[in-house]
Parts: sequence; structure tokens; C-alpha cells
Amino acid sequence: MNKILADTIAFGRQYLRSKVGAFFTFIFPILLVLLFGAVFSQTGTASIDMPVQDLDDSGMSRAFLDALNNTTVVRVSMIPTDVAIRDYAIEHSLTVALFIPAGFEDAVFTSLATNGTVQANLTLYGDVSQPSFGVAIGVIEAVADQMSFALVGATPVFAPPQVIPLAPERFGALDYLLPGIVGMTVMFNTLYIMAAVCAEYRSRKYFKLLATTTLTKSEWLASKILWFTLSMVLSLLVTLAVAIAAFGVEIRFDLLTLAFIVSGSVLFASLGMLLGSFSKDPESASALANAIGFPMMFLSGSFWDVTTMPDYMQTIAKGLPLTYLSDGLRDTLVYGNLDRALGNLAVVSVVAAALFVLGARVMSWKER
Amino acid sequence: MRPVIEIEGLVKTYGDLHAVDRLSLSVPGGTVFSLLGPNGAGKTTTVEILEGLRQPTAGTARVLGHDIREDYAEIRGRIGVLPQDFEPFDRLTPTEAVVYWGRLFNKDVGKEDARKILEEVGLLHRANLQGLRLSGGEKRRLGIAMSLVGQPELLFLDEPTTGLDPKARRDLWGLIRRLRGEGRTIVLTTHYLEEAEQLSDDVLIMHKGKAIAQGTPEELVAKSAGMTTIVMRGAGEAGLNELQRRGIAAEIESDGDVLVHVANPAEMRIVLAKLASIELPLKDMYTKRGTLEDVFLRLVGATMDEGVLQG
Repeated sequence: MNKILADTIAFGRQYLRSKVGAFFTFIFPILLVLLFGAVFSQTGTASIDMPVQDLDDSGMSRAFLDALNNTTVVRVSMIPTDVAIRDYAIEHSLTVALFIPAGFEDAVFTSLATNGTVQANLTLYGDVSQPSFGVAIGVIEAVADQMSFALVGATPVFAPPQVIPLAPERFGALDYLLPGIVGMTVMFNTLYIMAAVCAEYRSRKYFKLLATTTLTKSEWLASKILWFTLSMVLSLLVTLAVAIAAFGVEIRFDLLTLAFIVSGSVLFASLGMLLGSFSKDPESASALANAIGFPMMFLSGSFWDVTTMPDYMQTIAKGLPLTYLSDGLRDTLVYGNLDRALGNLAVVSVVAAALFVLGARVMSWKER
Repeated sequence: MRPVIEIEGLVKTYGDLHAVDRLSLSVPGGTVFSLLGPNGAGKTTTVEILEGLRQPTAGTARVLGHDIREDYAEIRGRIGVLPQDFEPFDRLTPTEAVVYWGRLFNKDVGKEDARKILEEVGLLHRANLQGLRLSGGEKRRLGIAMSLVGQPELLFLDEPTTGLDPKARRDLWGLIRRLRGEGRTIVLTTHYLEEAEQLSDDVLIMHKGKAIAQGTPEELVAKSAGMTTIVMRGAGEAGLNELQRRGIAAEIESDGDVLVHVANPAEMRIVLAKLASIELPLKDMYTKRGTLEDVFLRLVGATMDEGVLQG
């Protein structure tokens, strides 16, 4: 144990002094939390600009625009009536622009009189690939429906849906992202560093040097796992503290979280050990770790829900260990879903054990 | 006294390549034993087998009385190793590195103990500098300090001065002599002939995995390179004829120098007496002792530059 501790201390000292290690362990997750926190903390209250060209300028068109404004989802601004709206939208890089034609009010009354045989038209210009376009068209349709009901004196059959949050009441985007950031930090630090360390220790003959001492390979591996676990727990605590202090996220931290950090560290450190064993030098090891880690970071739901991805990508995500780590951390940190968390922990632990055994067998620090 | 190292018929093969080919040797305690040879001669493979880093293909080897195949655990804590191309950990200071290394040998080494070891190897003034800031010679000194931390009876120094400048090399020689003076046994691998000659009690010359000569530097020189050469600068053809007329075997070099090889002190006395009676116009006259370089050239048929055979 004394040797494991000595090796852990020496490794940790070098790791933190390298600055790269310290950055990715402590600074990087904090930067991500601050960045995502700043970007998503206003979600739900930000409104979309809605430039409108109103050629009718009637009581009906103004009432429609007031109703749009009252939703608070859009902010109506006016486009001059003497320009071509399409050219104007392109020239000003507008993502949405609403066009109310002359005769809009007349068309509404005609529609009422003919029981909807003739309808009043609105035109929405915009970039259909932008999320704001989808929001804008949804709001316009909702306002148009509401005004139609009001004009014909109809009462809505359906009441607005009752909202019951599954997660904590103040659950926001950052609460969802935080476990992903933690999972990604565990992967980044253990996979990349361990791959580079194994390749460096072999190319600089540190393994051979260590083999001349009484330290065994198992003790060396144990010390690495110990260091990564300790540093990741510390990183998690610092990251959570910043997220709580800066954005008031509500998360639960318990032994299960710790178990995820430990098993995640073992899993990705072992994967790094495997990659490092097959790499000629630290640069190739980093490239290999990037080739595996980078797609995994995006495909495993660290930053968004995997169910929003195409089916085939969801299938890929199910084969990635980071998916289970991020989901499991989300289960325990945010939802408090013990059953699902334990299921994910089981997957992570089994894969970690398998990779550890394989990595330890493949890695050799003596010559044959 | 039982030898510290005993090797009998040691073989290490990699496919068809015989890296070490039926090597036998014995190293007495308290001596400096050098394995001398060009790159690829099998020196490092041999010491790495003795260090427990490689398994031999055949043969037996005992280190400190223990069979290296059976009970290396008994040996590990009693030897110190400076590997070839040693590099210290970049971001540990020498003090931290020595303390760390001591713990890996289950020794309770504190900072003060580390400083004493660093003082012994002449690195105390760099005790708090990170490894990456040390010079080449300082890095090797740190390597030796780390190898000393377990208080080893036997030290393996694998090409400790390769790549160092002449001053750093001579400084390290001084350190190696001091370590020998403390009664430690040192196994040194080198491709520097002068280094082997200066430091060794015993030298084994290796070539293509085989031992081609062994003995003290003096024995090797006496056996293989003759004892002494008298150089008569500028003697020319006339000088050569005059010497031969008086029954002295001599040879002439392309620059006109005439060489007379003398096998032993008795012969030297006779030759000098004959030379004294010869009147020859000479630029200079001096004697030159045979060196390991001559031995190596005679045995291998080539000279060696930085471990690479030339010619």
C-alpha cells in the first residue's frame, strides 16, 4: 500500500504540474458549466424577434400583432411598407418575417360571413432550418386559432395541459447538462491521459525503469486508478460547487454518484491503457484517443437527449459506455431514479472490469 | 569469496538472431566489470537479463547467489539499475524523485536522506529543479542517485556516459570510481574503449552476441595488442634499412615514421641499447603503449565510433 501511495503521490504531483492535467481536471469542466449555464439559464424566457410588414394596417391586423406580442414568445417589430419583404429579409439576414397582406381585415370578415369558405392569408418568410422558425410558426398558428375561436364565439374543448415536473422544480437545461459534463470530464481525463501516459512510459522507457524496482504492474495500475478516482471526485465536487453557486442547480450527491465516478474512471483508464499499449508514442495515443473519445462525447447524450437523434445513431449510442455513465449520473444526480441508476452502474462496472482485465494483460512493461 | 554474478552458457535469441550467444562470465565482488562492444553486440540484452527485465532463452545466471529464473524477488531489492538512455521524470525534482524511488524499494527515505544521496552524486545544487531542466550529465547523476537509494550491493550502469560531453563524462568516471571505492560491485556496459580501460578491473569484449576476449585491461593489451611501440618520427626508408640491418624488426608508415613493436620490458632494454648506437636524423622519438583500441581493432578488424563499427 505504501508503494501504491508513493506512486500515486508522485504521479499526481507530475499530473498537476503539467498544467494540461490540471486544466482538464478542474478548469475545463468549470468553463463548460459557466458557458452552458450562461447560454441556457435564460431558456424559456427569451423571446424571438418577429419583424412584420403590415400592408393592411387595420384594426384586425393590429389586434393580431398585439396578440402575438402578448404571448411574450415573440417581439414584434415593423418592416417599412414600401419595400419588398423577401429582399428585405435576405438583406437583413432575418430568420423570420411575417407578411400581412392588404385586405387582411376584409378577408377575415368575408371568412366569418361565408363560414370559412374563404380564409384570410398570412405569409411567414424565413430560414426553415432555424429553431426560431419552428417556434414562430407555432406561435402564429396558436394565435390565429385563438382569434378564430374568439371571433366565432367558440369555447375551447381542451383545457391547457397541466404541467407536473418530473425533476426538481427548478430543473433547467444546466441540470440536464451537468451530469453529461461530469461524465465527459471523467472520460476526457482518464482515457486521454492514460493513453498518453502508457505510450509515454513505454517510449521513454519508464516502464522498464519501474520494472527494476519492487513495484509491480498491478500496484502501478492500482495507483493510477486511485489517482484518477480521487482527482475526478475532487473535480466533480468543484464543478458541482460552481454550478450550484453560479446557477443554483439542484442536484443530489450520494454514494451512487461516487460509484459512477469510480467505475467510470476504471472503465476509461483501462480503455486508455489499451490504446496506449497499441500506440508508438504519446502523439499517436492522443490521436487514437481523440478518434474514439470525440465521437463518443457527442453520440452518447452528454449534451443532448439521444432520443432526438436518428434511430441508427441511437443504436450506436447504446453501444457506447459513456452513454451509460452520463445516463447513470443523470439518474442519480438529477432524477434520483435508483433502479435505472443501478442498471446503468451495472453496465459501466461490467465493461470497466472487462477492459481492466484486458488492458492489464495487454500492457507489458518488461521486454520479452 | 563467491562471485556476485555467475553466467554459464547464456543464450538469448529473437527468431534467428542470437543477441547473446553462449556467454559465460563471472564477476567478483567489489570490482568494476565492463561489457565492452559496439551497438548490437548484446551488452544491454545481457545486463537486462541480469536485471530481471528479460528472460534468457537458455543457460544459467546467478546474481547475488540467486538464480534469476527462480527467485528474482530476492535479488530486486539488492541491486541498483541505471538503464540505457535513462530519462528522469520531467516534473519531479531530484529530491522528490529519490524519495519516490526509495519508497518503491520499501525504504523509508525522507528528504534529508535524499539530499545526502544527491550530495554523494554531486547533484545537491540541483535538488529542487524539475527533471526536465537538468543537463544530460545531471540527468545521469540523478539516475545513479535513484539507483543508489536502495543501498544496492550491485550496480548496473548501462552506457552511463553515452552522449555526454567529455567533461561530464570524466566527472561521471570520478563518481563511478568513488562508488567502487565504497565496496560496491559495478557492472558497466560501454562502447567507449577509453572508459572501459580507465574504470574497469575486468573487461569482457562482446561482438555479435559472443564474448571474444576477457581479462584486465592490461592483460588484454598484453595478449592482443603487444606491449609497447617505439615511434621514430621522420626516420624514413633509411632508418628502416638501418634498423633491419641490425636485426630489429620494424615497419614504416606512409608518413615516413618507423615503428618498432616491443613485446616485453626485457626486449625493450635490448632494443633501446641497439637504437642508442644508431645515428639517424629524427624529428622526434617516443614510446606508445598499446590500448584497448588496438586490442579491439585486432580482434574485430574495425574501429568503433560512438558504438558504430568503422571500416
